[in-house]
Amino acid sequence: MTSVQSEDNSSLIYGDDFDDDDESIDLYESQTTATCSMGDTACHKLNSLVSQESEFDFDEDQFSGNESDDELLVDPMTLSKKALDDDKGGSSLKYECLTTQDILDRMLKRVHHLQPVFSIPSEDILVLMQRYDWNEERLLEEWTEKMDELLVEAGINTSNPGDKLNITMRGIKHRSDFNCFICCEVRSTETFSLECGHEYCIECYRRYISDRLNEGNVITCMDCALALKNEDIDAIMGTPSSARLMDSSIKSFIQKHNRNYKWCPYADCKCIIHLNDTSYLQEYTRLHCSRFVTCKFSHIFCFGCGYGMHAPADCNVTMAWVKKARKESENLNWVLSHTKECPKCSVNIEKNGGCNHMVCSSCKYEFCWICSGEWGPHGRSFFQCTMYKNDDEKQKASVENSKKALKRYTFYYRVFNEHEVSAKLDWKLGQTVGQKVKAMQEKMGVSWIEGQFLAESLQILNEGRTVLKWSFAVAFYSDASHNLTKIFVDNQMLLSNAVEQLSELLQIKNPETTMKRKSEFYNKAGYVRNRTRALIECGRDLLRKCICKPVD
Amino acid sequence: MSRAKRIMKEMQAVKDDPAAKINLEFVTESDIHHLKGSFLGPPGTPYDGGLFIVDIEVPMEYPFKPPKMKFDTKVYHPNVSSVTGAICLDILKNAWSPVITLKSALISLQALLQSPEPNDPQDAEVAQHYLRDKDSFNKTAALWTKLYASANGKDSEKDVDEAKLYGIDPALVEHFEALGFAKPKIVEVLRRLGIKTLDSTDDATDDKITDELLRSS
Repeated sequence: MTSVQSEDNSSLIYGDDFDDDDESIDLYESQTTATCSMGDTACHKLNSLVSQESEFDFDEDQFSGNESDDELLVDPMTLSKKALDDDKGGSSLKYECLTTQDILDRMLKRVHHLQPVFSIPSEDILVLMQRYDWNEERLLEEWTEKMDELLVEAGINTSNPGDKLNITMRGIKHRSDFNCFICCEVRSTETFSLECGHEYCIECYRRYISDRLNEGNVITCMDCALALKNEDIDAIMGTPSSARLMDSSIKSFIQKHNRNYKWCPYADCKCIIHLNDTSYLQEYTRLHCSRFVTCKFSHIFCFGCGYGMHAPADCNVTMAWVKKARKESENLNWVLSHTKECPKCSVNIEKNGGCNHMVCSSCKYEFCWICSGEWGPHGRSFFQCTMYKNDDEKQKASVENSKKALKRYTFYYRVFNEHEVSAKLDWKLGQTVGQKVKAMQEKMGVSWIEGQFLAESLQILNEGRTVLKWSFAVAFYSDASHNLTKIFVDNQMLLSNAVEQLSELLQIKNPETTMKRKSEFYNKAGYVRNRTRALIECGRDLLRKCICKPVD
Repeated sequence: MSRAKRIMKEMQAVKDDPAAKINLEFVTESDIHHLKGSFLGPPGTPYDGGLFIVDIEVPMEYPFKPPKMKFDTKVYHPNVSSVTGAICLDILKNAWSPVITLKSALISLQALLQSPEPNDPQDAEVAQHYLRDKDSFNKTAALWTKLYASANGKDSEKDVDEAKLYGIDPALVEHFEALGFAKPKIVEVLRRLGIKTLDSTDDATDDKITDELLRSS
């Protein structure tokens, strides 16, 4: 117990203070780096130089309101040469949340800038840009090299625009008894042709274009390389269809630059995160950290692996865990039944709230959802169900190892899953809390700002649960005999306990008393936050010291 | 409906141009979407003197989607599968345009026989042969043309030396036959390893082939 407490205190120190000033970072550095003592001024300077304060600031500027993410997710210790060399400081970590429209607007702006250089119509430059996958540098390079060839290759009409023939050729015309080569129908219809004079009926053209709108390439005349401009496409289709072509062109651009651009993995989220300089990601990987990014709709995901928030696990652990989960899930279906029998009276119980403190509605027996044990000891001292008790230890060595391994995995997977389910239920809880806050505001005249502590607590609860959830993946891959793993498990227990308490506190029954217990909310939420940070730090130490190694 | 009209018109266009020496006909009268096309091997190539028959399936979306074409006649060519006759040609895939006709597609196939694209192969073994030893490739391709594509009826295929059929040096096969391996096995292994000839001093490769032969027998 005492050893746990001391670990607790030290992690609280750096958990709390690391972003206050440079000095506290030094303090933390001196704890972890043996070569750097507190009094060493040279070292002090170096540390102040490479501190990532400015890099936090940037993200906070962009996504105010999510400041907690960055505190949680960006490791204050990711010091590297890169940051030293970088004059602008934060630019390597800079990311932005965009939509395809934002990217297109940016491209159009660039087209606008290029117009004086090229001195051809903007529409033609747009075609060129599409052809060069929006790569301005390559386009300019080839433009200076072989201007005329480039125009011909890209299918841009180079003949004199004043030419009378061209004007009469181009565009939509109405013809009687037109014999279309494509559909071989003879009738009076509208037709379309570019300057080349390859004229086909408008219906064939529509069919031809609509097949190609989603391919993201420049659409050309059916019979030659001459390119259709966006205005041509819209005129033929009769609707603003070129927007779809632009959209698919941008999408293929993102696909080709998927190192810098990542789609938000959340369902139906159309956000794209753009990270300008990915060289820094390697540094993250080396330090077992992950670059978590937040889209406009507050979806947090990892830029490295595309999964959701997974601290303290790094991308390798996450991927190994997910892969394993997929492989094993069939074996484990039986474990993952959503109902449980009350351990006392065997009534089937479905969990409908986020808290793991269960009270059987039938026999009033209080038990823990995770371990099915009596709740009593959980509340007072330890949350014992985070610790996997190796029951087989006492048995003879002849017990099959594989069976043991599966049993061990089953335990961790189940706990992981329970926390995931709890997190979902917490989200539901959040909605009811929202309603309750509203009710409070109306009934008791509580101002919006005063009710915010509930929303904040809820967010902290969510973060705590996610970190707790992934910590079981880290624990699974960790060497159980190592002392640091034991400390990690202790940290898990503390966070688990804190999360459960906060979750219970949020099961608001009476809004009036809730307001009176406001300080209790603050205390509990602050504690959960500190415990979350401590667990993340401890998990990273496990990874850094190779005590946690993902294996299949 | 326009699809039927278009196909009929294309048939007529082929008939109106006998100088192109291209033939196009329906497989059965009842189905206008399944055709057979044929053209002559381009002169000055190992395919000269052959008549190449192509199976054509016209999809519902024709002419907005390309027709499905494959060689019925066996062809020894880097961009044609020597087993299935599948063709690797851009205009039959993403470079298709509605203005391309069955006739122009067949002419493109003729041009493909004239100028192979070994860097974008359909049949890797054949392409390798083409890149390593052009003369030997030409001999094999000419042999295949004579065997499978000759206009004056089918020669009996049974008489053909298997080694020759894949451009393998007969002396090499004899060398391994002398060691007691069966000829079909030797040809199979040599094809798999992509070896057509062997320098008598190259013991390492010789050992490799022997190993492979021992393993597969």
